[in-house]
Amino acid sequence: MKDVIGSFLPLSPATLHILLSLAADDLHGYAIMQEVTRQSEGKYKLGPGTLYDNLQKLILRQFVQELGRRPGDDDPRRRYYRLTALGRGVLAAETDRLGDVVREARLRLQIAKPRRA
Amino acid sequence: MLRSLYHCALRLHPPGFRQRFADEMLSIFDHTAGKSAAVRLLIDALVSLVRQWTLRQEFWQDAPLTQPSAGDGVPSFYTLDPFRPHAGAMIHGLVLSMAIFFLTCFAIRYSWIHVLHVRIPEVTFESPTPVQPDSGAATSARLQRPGVLPQSQAGPAIAPSAAPNSSVQNSFTPALSHSANGAGSQNRASPSSAIAGASTEAAAAKSRTKSQMRSGRSPDASNPTPVPQARLQPDAGTVADQPQALPSKLQNAASPAIRAGAENLKLEAAVRHRVIDGAIANLNKYYVDPDVAQKMANGLLAHEKNGDDDAAADGSAFADLLTRQMRNISHDNYLMMVYNTVPTAENPPAPTPEDVALYRKEMERTNCSIEKVDILPHNIGYLKFNQFPDASICGTRVAAAMASLNHAQAIIFDLRDNPGGYANMVAFLATYLFDRPTHLNDFYDRSRNSTEQSWTLPPVPGNRLADKPVFVLTSHSTFSAAEGFSYDLKMLQRATLVGEATSGRGHMGMGHQIDDHFTIHVPGVRVVNPISKTNWEGTGVEPDVKVKSPDALKTAQKLAEKRLQQN
Repeated sequence: MKDVIGSFLPLSPATLHILLSLAADDLHGYAIMQEVTRQSEGKYKLGPGTLYDNLQKLILRQFVQELGRRPGDDDPRRRYYRLTALGRGVLAAETDRLGDVVREARLRLQIAKPRRA
Repeated sequence: MLRSLYHCALRLHPPGFRQRFADEMLSIFDHTAGKSAAVRLLIDALVSLVRQWTLRQEFWQDAPLTQPSAGDGVPSFYTLDPFRPHAGAMIHGLVLSMAIFFLTCFAIRYSWIHVLHVRIPEVTFESPTPVQPDSGAATSARLQRPGVLPQSQAGPAIAPSAAPNSSVQNSFTPALSHSANGAGSQNRASPSSAIAGASTEAAAAKSRTKSQMRSGRSPDASNPTPVPQARLQPDAGTVADQPQALPSKLQNAASPAIRAGAENLKLEAAVRHRVIDGAIANLNKYYVDPDVAQKMANGLLAHEKNGDDDAAADGSAFADLLTRQMRNISHDNYLMMVYNTVPTAENPPAPTPEDVALYRKEMERTNCSIEKVDILPHNIGYLKFNQFPDASICGTRVAAAMASLNHAQAIIFDLRDNPGGYANMVAFLATYLFDRPTHLNDFYDRSRNSTEQSWTLPPVPGNRLADKPVFVLTSHSTFSAAEGFSYDLKMLQRATLVGEATSGRGHMGMGHQIDDHFTIHVPGVRVVNPISKTNWEGTGVEPDVKVKSPDALKTAQKLAEKRLQQN
């Protein structure tokens, strides 16, 4: 299983943000876009074209599950998406990988600093 | 505006992507405020459009929301958006497509003949009077002469039926005279002399057999051969019975002198019985359809037995009654019982040379009913022919008319006002349209159980019309021999008929004397076309191109021009 997940890594920024935004709750597309903007503090803006292109792939890979429309929603056209167990695993694996990268990066940066100084 | 563009961009995405996400993307667009944001979304959609079509082939057909595919034979619809058409939309589509279909059909028809024609329901044409009040009455008595029948046979028999009232008589008379004069009198085209010869033989044969007969009654209300009739009128008997049009009272009133001289017969049961017997005998002997004849006979006897005939006060009323009784069964308007107030001679004298002279004079006066000979634009020949006169009298004039049209590229025969006439003229005229003798019709005589054939004559030397397009104009007023001409050419696929269905007279009737006062007219000869094996009796001749009579010439001209352009 780990090998399977590993084959999907690293994730593209868009994929990572989408999976991340779905980690807490089921969201519709527009909410995903807003969540991505919030997470990145407005630095990364996802357009609908990119969003749904990625969702399309994520659904195919079964990282994300399409839930369909919810009655009583503001806009009946909206469909909701949920992170699957696989998607969650992939997100966790990517997070671990990024953690390693960050740690490694910090380590290197700390070593480099005295030199510069 | 931007939304429409955005919507448009979404619709251009591959079906799989579009069906899955287009609604949601549009929803996002609708929730986005600000023009700059909308522009960014539009750019995003365009980038997405390129990406989906170029890099995402695997998703093009990924359409999980598509409708289930229909089974064999079940209509299915593919729609751009994931919805099913409403029933209302289907009905609209149906109505619209039918409207377009009919419009297209109409346009094709319109463009073909270039004339706007409104179809009107067919109306069966009934000739107003089977015998003309003025001429028929006068001639009926006089017509009873042995010679008449031969003529009809000689000139292949349309003549009797067609040839209304007087014209039958006239027709016959001249033929005799010609035969006497010999073929030499026919100094022109071969057709006419041949006809003269034929007439002669037949006439002689008939005289020998002494078949009594008078002319068939004629549908021809406008029979244009008045002179002989006029001459005959003063001494002629009166037809008491005018079944369709002329009340007997009126008739009697019209000839008071005669009426005074010959009182209207008081009918006793014995007299009535004798007349009915005579009628039945004639029906069984002559009527073209033996089964119907038997039915009519039974009907007449039943009416007599029931006392229905007691109501008839006099001879003409009785004749009227019998006519109605026969027609109620047969629906054949040829059938007619006629009552003559003046006893008629059993063997009326043969037509005199004076009769022939009068007919000839009348034909000269009317130019043999050739109303117009013309060359229309595009060298289309036009002949308006208002009767089929005796070929032995009018052959020369008709030949001259046809000669003047000899260089036409197409020819239009206008028979819209043609009440018929002589079958020998049908064959004579048709001769110009064929390059060899052609079988036109058979005439079946039931009483003799014999069939005579009518053929065109040998080709006319120098004739150039045998392979030219032919158009025949018809109307509801086209009768008898004119119908025969139209029908024959149609069956031979030699002409295109333009106009209205003709009146539908394909039988020939003759008068048969029952006693001094009563004469019964019985259709005894049936035209049988060698190709269709039937005729136009009752149905009329259907035109190939159905237009109202007044539009027929214009339509035929267009058709002829079109045909000439194609050649």
